[in-house]
Order: sequence, then structure tokens, then C-alpha cells
Amino acid sequence: MKRRDFFKTSIAASAAILGTTELLADTHEPKIYKDISKVNFPEKAPMIVHSDRPPLLESPMSVFTRGITENDKFFVRWHLPDIPQHIDPDTYTITINGMVKKELKVTLKELKTAFEQVEVTAVQQCGGNSRSAFSPITGGIQWGNGAMGCAKFKGVRLRDVLDLAGLKKDAGWVGFNGRDTPAYYKTPDFVRELAMDELEDNVILAYEMNGEDFPYLNGYPVRLIVPGYYSDSWVKMLSTITVSNKYKHLFFMDKGYRIADNATESETPDHLYKTTKPITIMNVKSVIGFPENGMKMYHNSEIVVRGVAWDDGAGINNVMVSTDNGKTWNKALLKQDNGRYAYTEFRYAFKPTQYGKLTFMAKAMNVLGEEQPLSKDIGWNRGGYKYNGIDEVTVEII
Amino acid sequence: MKKLLLITILLTGSLFAQVKGNIEIPYIPYKIKTGKGSSVVQANCLTCHSFGYVLNMGKQSKSFWEEKVHKMVHSFKAPIKKKDQVIIANYLFKYYGNGKLK
Repeated sequence: MKRRDFFKTSIAASAAILGTTELLADTHEPKIYKDISKVNFPEKAPMIVHSDRPPLLESPMSVFTRGITENDKFFVRWHLPDIPQHIDPDTYTITINGMVKKELKVTLKELKTAFEQVEVTAVQQCGGNSRSAFSPITGGIQWGNGAMGCAKFKGVRLRDVLDLAGLKKDAGWVGFNGRDTPAYYKTPDFVRELAMDELEDNVILAYEMNGEDFPYLNGYPVRLIVPGYYSDSWVKMLSTITVSNKYKHLFFMDKGYRIADNATESETPDHLYKTTKPITIMNVKSVIGFPENGMKMYHNSEIVVRGVAWDDGAGINNVMVSTDNGKTWNKALLKQDNGRYAYTEFRYAFKPTQYGKLTFMAKAMNVLGEEQPLSKDIGWNRGGYKYNGIDEVTVEII
Repeated sequence: MKKLLLITILLTGSLFAQVKGNIEIPYIPYKIKTGKGSSVVQANCLTCHSFGYVLNMGKQSKSFWEEKVHKMVHSFKAPIKKKDQVIIANYLFKYYGNGKLK
């Protein structure tokens, strides 16, 4: 990965020479939210609550010691305030319309019986996960590292459903809408579109998450799953699939979830890059679930650092841990039980021999040779997307 | 105002048919600083989102809050009167500002 130190230095230098007050951008370790809410949301364990309406719930870091995120601790992010309060699974249908040979209304029961049933375990991560790492502040929710999770999803291939409806010759785009609605008629609806050629066989309409119905707030009863992609396109409470011949200009496609269309995917607040592209696939990343910042741990005790690593499905092949501020790196043990789109679990045992502050750093690498950069080297972007800096956790050895 | 209806949720249906009944999302009474403009903020902003969205941003500059109000009006089509847009931005900067214009 190319670093942008030179770029930053030159901006800083030119600002100094010209005496301007240019806003300097930087990136750092994201904020760690420790305030677990005492208010319980439906089917949820206590979470970090950023908002009740629309609901924005972040998972506490401790869940990232495990390869599967429990449903009741899985993060929640809705865009629109009005979420139906009642879903009747016996009458729920998904409409497939647009450029299809025959319009379909598929019931939940048909989905579970009339198609081949498939499963995929996949990481679901908000494109703005860890956004609090960007300074100056960028648009959107200031997430810590917990706007993500990994679950086993069961459902049917989108491709099979589209085949049953029969695609017309010019079909090029598929739009997805859910049952949530805005407060005002004119507010853009949350509709996402995927190009036909992005639709691999692993894109599924899922009705089960970790062997149970979806939690209501995670998109009950059916959610679109796009393994390897950021979850902006994983439409919840799916109601309509519309096939069209051309890309429709929609707010949540044209404005949201886009990043600078240059090699480093970065820019500065005063010099926004003129073109943007959708964020699409996830970059290589890992986080430490244990220990957590500020913990006190005993001298000469066996500390087992645990965390998870993932990418877009290319495949994690190494997680390296450093205990000397990045001077030397050691391989962590990996556990990969759930396929290439799932979390890789890692652990690393370490016995501290000195007292005082100790920082653990974790760096994931994948089979393509991509690896996580240091947090300061990420490069700022206006939407605060795709942060994947090396995670750092500092504890005190007593 | 909605109340916490946690008990309702726990009583509806069996463990694996979680949502046979109505789902009620809890209401969180975020504390909003009272002062000039706070009633305008409550009347306009809270139609679409809770005050959590404001608190989540932390203390920010004047231009940051102005841009936020602009985004709500122009991108999300919130029908906020011109006069109220100014009142809201001023309120946010006064009570949730970092003292900087930019």
C-alpha cells in the first residue's frame, strides 16, 4: 500500500509558506466508546447506543474475540426514522418487478421451500466503521470499531429468484428497497442498486442469521447479503427488487457511500477530489477484542491477545502482533472455520516482563499481499469511509 | 411520547418467533440544552432523528453546523424555514460548538 506522507508534508509546507489557515487533515486510532447503554433494544443485549431513532447501535469491543457475532450483540444501523412496527411472516412478500418477463411476488414460505437453500458466513461492516478516526470530523455517525459483525446467513440465491422472474435482454441494474420510510415524502428513500455483473452466486436473500430468524432491527424477515462488500447495499426488511436497464440517480448511490476516485482514495478538506466512486469491496483489516484499552494486567502473567481479521474474501493469510511499537512483528495463531468471507480469528500469547504501559498492535495481511497501514497513514476522505488502520490497545502492567 | 415497552417485547411470542407482535423501539430522552433556539431545534430536527445524532458529532465549528443544517434541507428535504435554519445553526454552535468559525 502506498503511503501519503510526502503528500501530507507538502500540503503542510505550502500552508506554512503561504501563511494560509488551511485545515490540516489527519487520521488516528478511532474513538473507543465504553458507555454501554442501560436501555435495552428489542432482541438486543446492552449496546453502545448512538441514537434511538433511527436506531444506531454499536457492538462493544469484547465481541470481537469471537469469529461469530451473536445476534443480540450485532450492530444496528438504519437510515430512515419510520420502521414498520409489525411484520406478519405469513403474509410477507417480496416483489420482483421492472425488466422481468413476469413480475413475481414471493412469500416467505416460498422463499424457504421453492428455491435451493444456501448458506454463507460473511462479515457485515458499515462503510463508515471506525469513522471517528478522521480529523477534521467527516460526515456521518462517529462510529468506533464496532459497526460490524460476522454471522452465518441462510437463504436463497438472488440469481435463482431473478431467473424465475426471467430477465429481459437489456437488464443491467438491480435496485433494492426495504420497508423503512422517511418522515417526509420528499426525503430520498434508502434504495440501493447493484450492477448485474456485480451479482455473484454468493449474493443471497437471507431469512436466517446464525440459525435464527433475523433480529427485527437487523432486517427481519429478509435481508440482502452481499459477501465481501461493505454493508451499505445489504438492504434490510427487503420489500422490492426492481430490475432496470440503466443506473438510476439515487441519493444514497450518488451522494452517500462514495470515496475519492484516486489511487490513495484520499483528499484534504480544502481540496476535495473532483470525482468519487462507490466504496464497494472491503479492504484488509483487523481489530483486537481483548485486551481493551486501559485494562490493568499482571506482570509475568500469560496474556492472550484475541481479535478478528477479514478482507473482501480474497483471504487473510497472516495477522502480525507487535509489543514494541511496531519495531518487530510476530505471527499470531489463526483460526479459519467459516470460509473466506468470514472473520479469521487470531490469538497471540505474551508474557509481559516489564511494568508500566504496554501497547499491542495487530496487523492483518491477505493473500494478495495487502496489509493494514498505520492509522496515521490512512489518508483523510470526506465521508470517513474505509478506515483500516493497524489496531492499537494500550494496557497497564502492574 | 413513547415509553419504554420492553416488557411487551419480552412477552410477545416464543423465543424463535420473535416478532409475532408489535415491536416498540425504546425512546431515549436525550438531554437537550435549553436556551435561545432550543424549541426551534426540537420542533424541526426531531421529526426525522433523535438528538443522539447531534451529540454523536461532539463539539464542532460554526461552518460544520451550518453545513449540517444545509444538508438536512437540501439533501434530505427537511422543510425548515430560512429563518429557522439560522436559529438552529446558531443554537448548535452556541451549545455544541468548539468556538471556531471553521
